Amino acid sequence: MKDYNLLWLMPLLPFLGSILCGALHFATLSARKKNPEIGHGPGALAAPVAIAAMIGSFAVAVTAWLNLKGLDEVGRAMGVESSPWHWIDLGPFSVDLSMVVDPLSAVMILVITGVGALIHIYSAGYIKGDPGFAKFFAYLNLFVAMMLMLVLSSNLVGLFVGWEGVGLCSYLLIGFWYDKGWPAEAGQKAFVVNRIGDACFLIGAFLLIRLFGTLDTSEIGAAVIGMLDDPAKLKDLGLAALLMFGGACGKSAQFPLMVWLPDAMAGPTPVSALIHAATMVTAGVYLIARMNPVYAACPDVLFLIGCVGALTAFIGATSAIRQTDIKKVLAYSTVSQLGYMFLGLSTGAWAAAVFHLVTHAFFKGLLFLGSGSVIHGMHHEQNMYKMGGLKRHMPKTFLTFMVGAAALSGLPLMSGFFSKDEILFMTYSHGGGYIALWIVGLISAALTAFYTWRMVALTFFGEERFDVDHVHPHESPSTMTIPLILLAVAAAIGGLLNLPAVMTGHPILHGWLEPVTEVGQEVLVKLHLVHEHASHGVEWGLLALGSVIALVFSYLGFRRYLKGPEPDMSFARRAPGLTGFLGAAWRLDGLFEVFILIPVRLLSEFISAIIDKLFIDGAVNGAASIAKLVGDDTRKMTTGSVKSYAVWMGFGAAGLSLLLIWI
Amino acid sequence: MNVPTEHLLILAGILFSLGALGFLLRSNLIVILASVELMLNAANLTFLAGARSHSSVGPLNLDGPIFALFVILVAACEAALGLALVIAFYRQKQSVDIEAAAELKG
Repeated sequence: MKDYNLLWLMPLLPFLGSILCGALHFATLSARKKNPEIGHGPGALAAPVAIAAMIGSFAVAVTAWLNLKGLDEVGRAMGVESSPWHWIDLGPFSVDLSMVVDPLSAVMILVITGVGALIHIYSAGYIKGDPGFAKFFAYLNLFVAMMLMLVLSSNLVGLFVGWEGVGLCSYLLIGFWYDKGWPAEAGQKAFVVNRIGDACFLIGAFLLIRLFGTLDTSEIGAAVIGMLDDPAKLKDLGLAALLMFGGACGKSAQFPLMVWLPDAMAGPTPVSALIHAATMVTAGVYLIARMNPVYAACPDVLFLIGCVGALTAFIGATSAIRQTDIKKVLAYSTVSQLGYMFLGLSTGAWAAAVFHLVTHAFFKGLLFLGSGSVIHGMHHEQNMYKMGGLKRHMPKTFLTFMVGAAALSGLPLMSGFFSKDEILFMTYSHGGGYIALWIVGLISAALTAFYTWRMVALTFFGEERFDVDHVHPHESPSTMTIPLILLAVAAAIGGLLNLPAVMTGHPILHGWLEPVTEVGQEVLVKLHLVHEHASHGVEWGLLALGSVIALVFSYLGFRRYLKGPEPDMSFARRAPGLTGFLGAAWRLDGLFEVFILIPVRLLSEFISAIIDKLFIDGAVNGAASIAKLVGDDTRKMTTGSVKSYAVWMGFGAAGLSLLLIWI
Repeated sequence: MNVPTEHLLILAGILFSLGALGFLLRSNLIVILASVELMLNAANLTFLAGARSHSSVGPLNLDGPIFALFVILVAACEAALGLALVIAFYRQKQSVDIEAAAELKG
């Protein structure tokens, strides 16, 4: 294991940046008290500080990656590690926290710091003029620090610290414009729904402690293999894996806990790009990829993950079709794409899921930033029905958005094409019940192409449906368009990272991740769960099928909405029930309302009326009235005559003396 | 010839009862204080009688006299404080009658 203590710098730089930006925010507040017209004041420094911290962190990430690259296969499996910090020591159970970069976390840190740095630069343009300028960068930097903590920690305790930290930052940033009211509520919803998952995560972690006596992920992975012959332990392991997946469901917005993600769009758009598309929501995928030996040992849990993933992909895709808010389309699309990642994980294709995670970070980050540029240019209009024809006004945004849309819809040779089709191919070749999941995934892919190009057509093509006299859309400043262009390049050629085996023979990312995934692979082999890979002919066939579906449905969606939103209206007239059902994302919020909110509310009413008012208040008031009753009778003893007191005193003394004699 | 211990105890009992009755029945504060002194002295007499009867059968035991000395000391303090209270009381009420103090009647 190679030592590399600079790794601590990676989360530390954004953390310090966050503290500095926070201080600048307070400086701005006090300066603004003296002079309300000051604008950003000292807070204007926050953007350079935050961006510098991000670039520094990215540089460290690159050096860590280079260090790792110089090692051989065995060395890579161990990773590059900083010296451990002996955090918790309870005798048999101890937590030594250290930062580890192995191939999997190397991919993650490069995405987080790379995409994160671009989004920081973009934010400097986007959030300009907001009174909370410095505060925004403080939160954003804190988020990156926590996310790096999450992926770098050598054990689940440190991972959980990051896990909760990113949740906190997500809450703070969703509610960034809390004075509008509903963003604060959306933030609360995200936080509360995530708590359900976090509770599952914790219980799962406790089970793992009982099973393994450690929370170090690599030690757990190594210990799983020795556990395969013990059915009782495997049962416990399955339960732990299931609970950890519950945690992943909360963070990564999987059915049924995905309801918070669309509401999270209340936050500023760069936040949606960074947190709710590119990085934080992929934490669940990372967690399962990281724990791959555990999941490999639990095929039933894996199949459940596949079902949840496919269902989520389908729900997300169908809901995205009926959205009018451009960010909501992207939010449901994110839910859907995360479903694909889980589907990939469930087939044991850990690298394929990570590949989709990376390409998704590129193209979805790009699409969100592009939609932010549109919203910025349209003066905070998010309704696509009131857009149209924007390609003339914002050419750079338009072109980059087209690249992102092509990647998302899986048009051939774009990054999303390779990553999504690999997942679908792995699902197909797994066989058995997975064939059904493959069909659902394929239908969702068709829907994805459809809603993506519907969004493009409604936003950038057709007539201008906004008030031309009053709204003058403008191209965004270069701080915003340069990140767009860089991400567009990544979204276009990201597929080169992992060209399918039929094309190159050796997918790069697969080879790179092998040291991490081979333990899970070994477990799968021991359990005889490894399936025959389908022939090259089948793989070519599926690639062709994927291309055809993507092209056909992209064309259909684009063509249908080129003239504006009229097809939506006629569909709504013909099927009002279905329109409402899909527009409200299968009415999952309503289900939560009926099955959770209302029962909880009724229970609270009951507790308030019976337990609180009757029993607790009754006990308190009863004690008071007993004291009053006793007092009313005994106060007569206080005659005011000192002589009668003296008599009582005499009796008391006599009584005490008698007691002394008897004892 | 010594006075028998029983006689001393009877005398102490009579003195204590007189003091207690005075304490309970009289309403003049000064008389009440004097009654307290009477009871304290009855107690002193009992201490001394007890000490003498113990010493006559065993080694010399000075616990009783020492206690009596302490009681005299405390009684002196109590008398000083009590009389000061009586004077303060008199200034308030223009009387030394205990019945005048009934503010705490419930």
